[in-house]
Amino acid sequence: MTRILLRNKLDDCLAAWQKAGFSVLAPVKRHEMSTFGEVQKASDMALDLVLTERTIKDHFFPQTEPLIKYKIGKHQIDSETMTPPERKRVFFGVRPCDASGLAIDDPLFGWDYKDDYWFRRRDNSVIVTIACSQADDFCMCTSVKLSPDSSKGADVLLRPLSDGSGWQVEAVSDRGTALLETISSLLQESSAETAPLPQVAEKFDVEKVMEWLADPASFESQFWKDISLRCVGCGSCTFLCPTCHCFDIQDEGDTYQGIRRKNWDSCSFPLFTMHTSGNNPRNTQSTRWRQRIMHKFNYYRGKFGVNSCSGCGRCTRQCPVDMGITETLQAISNLPR
Amino acid sequence: MGIQEQYRNEAAALLSSGEVKLVIGFGAGSTADRRRPLFARTPEQAQKFVLDAACIANLSTYLVAEGLLSDGKKVGVFLKPDGIRSVNILISEAQLKPEQVVILGYAIENGKEVTPLEGRNISDFSIGEKIRKLTPPPHVIEAAEKIEAMSPAERFEFWKEHFSKCIKCYACRQVCPMCYCRRCIVDVNQPQWVSTSSHTLGNFEWNLVRAFHLAGRCAACGACDRACPVNIPLRLVNYRMGKEVRSAFNYVAGENSDQKPVLASFKQDDPETFIL
Ligand code: SF4
Ligand code: SF4
Ligand code: SF4
Ligand code: SF4
Repeated sequence: MTRILLRNKLDDCLAAWQKAGFSVLAPVKRHEMSTFGEVQKASDMALDLVLTERTIKDHFFPQTEPLIKYKIGKHQIDSETMTPPERKRVFFGVRPCDASGLAIDDPLFGWDYKDDYWFRRRDNSVIVTIACSQADDFCMCTSVKLSPDSSKGADVLLRPLSDGSGWQVEAVSDRGTALLETISSLLQESSAETAPLPQVAEKFDVEKVMEWLADPASFESQFWKDISLRCVGCGSCTFLCPTCHCFDIQDEGDTYQGIRRKNWDSCSFPLFTMHTSGNNPRNTQSTRWRQRIMHKFNYYRGKFGVNSCSGCGRCTRQCPVDMGITETLQAISNLPR
Repeated sequence: MGIQEQYRNEAAALLSSGEVKLVIGFGAGSTADRRRPLFARTPEQAQKFVLDAACIANLSTYLVAEGLLSDGKKVGVFLKPDGIRSVNILISEAQLKPEQVVILGYAIENGKEVTPLEGRNISDFSIGEKIRKLTPPPHVIEAAEKIEAMSPAERFEFWKEHFSKCIKCYACRQVCPMCYCRRCIVDVNQPQWVSTSSHTLGNFEWNLVRAFHLAGRCAACGACDRACPVNIPLRLVNYRMGKEVRSAFNYVAGENSDQKPVLASFKQDDPETFIL
């Protein structure tokens, strides 16, 4: 016997969380785009999507974020830190790959300096993951050793019941247990069966990829030039990625007053590594593409013990020239050795 | 012989005779319905070309890739009429030497049938009249008319909602053959002209700068619209700007390669109705 949440109890569930002081965010379709947005009732949610186009990362590491306000006078400098509000949030209906993305980025934001902007939001958020019941051609979680029912990064894991009436409920962290207490009266014991998981075939051998990338001889390989020829260097693959985390600090205003902001940046852009001297150490798209792959499957792993990819496949799904990392990793794992 | 085989052979012949150093065409994509740009440098690679009704991308954008044509050698490229139109614009803006481009032209009829276009040099294609008569698909006109009928306040809301989604990935710029500036104004950071932040104001700045810069230069290929990962209907912006330029100057971009760029030329009888 396990506990289940019935779909028709979803409105009560939302009401209970709102009463407990949570804002609830779930997949929504807005202005011809799918994303995570605040919802008031179950019918606002778009739970049937394979994946939202935008990731939940946006709600922890927004594309633009004010850091400080500054004002420089003749005799004094005033500045005010603009920390995000501590707001309790439930993210409902997160896919396993997106929830893992948060867990993958936690060590980065907490490494030599604890990023208050990230952790204020992380510490006040409860992630309710729904295991996948469908996958598309681009999904590749299994290739990076995750799965359609991975609970990595989740506080609660829901598994869809085979009759579609609701979800089997499992708390996977203390925060999740606490969240479930707020809706305990809405959950019921049942032995209903869960739906089968979608088949997500392994598209490459990630061990082989990592081995090749770790070989210093691979760095100057012609491979990078050939595979990245068609990349036009838009940053969409990085901006839509649940684990990409590069940013730039910009002052908006003038020398005397303004706002310092943290904005997304991308290794796909030439400006990313442009020196003030005019020299650019990564002055071709192939060297930038190499950086993206190396960062995710070599450097990040070396530093934090995990690859910086959760296999969501967005980079391929959305690439205007049908690139994305899957093909590159496939090609690497098929290289003769 | 189908067009695909014909063009494969032709590309292979161009490469083996040394007439071109490279042919840019399409190859199979990561799923059955996708095609992707494919670059062939050898006759063998040319055998991988795919040409069918799914080949809708405008490959002319690669012609302006930094350094590609600087050695003076020729390049072959698969182009639909909108791609040929972009080449006309690029030539008229002195970005391309006509003799460096060998065009393997094709048209897609009714979204299904792929037919070859006669000629291989840009001057062989008299697409001017066709372009003049070309209208966007009915659903685009319908959407554009709906926006035109709005009150200014409603229209502002409409674009505000769409532009506020923009993540400044610049995919619209990167896929556009007309966005060839080596240093885009949004990348100039000393001083910073346009805010890099993707808040609503920064997004308006970016999208409006691009709309103005593309006025009278857009080939209506729709690449930007297809590339936008957050589904902003960019083609409606381009459509409207094209219409403005046409009604003010009777100018349609890319009719031929001898046109003077509308924003860089002056005629004594230019109407000045919009200048206060
Ligand atoms: S791989 Fe695709 S999405 Fe990524 S930068 Fe290149 S063209 Fe853009
Ligand atoms: S690299 Fe691609 S597949 Fe991996 S997490 Fe990022 S967008 Fe998803
Ligand atoms: S603005 Fe868009 S439609 Fe116009 S030429 Fe550029 S990519 Fe094509
Ligand atoms: S492609 Fe879309 S999201 Fe990206 S910069 Fe252009 S308008 Fe913005």
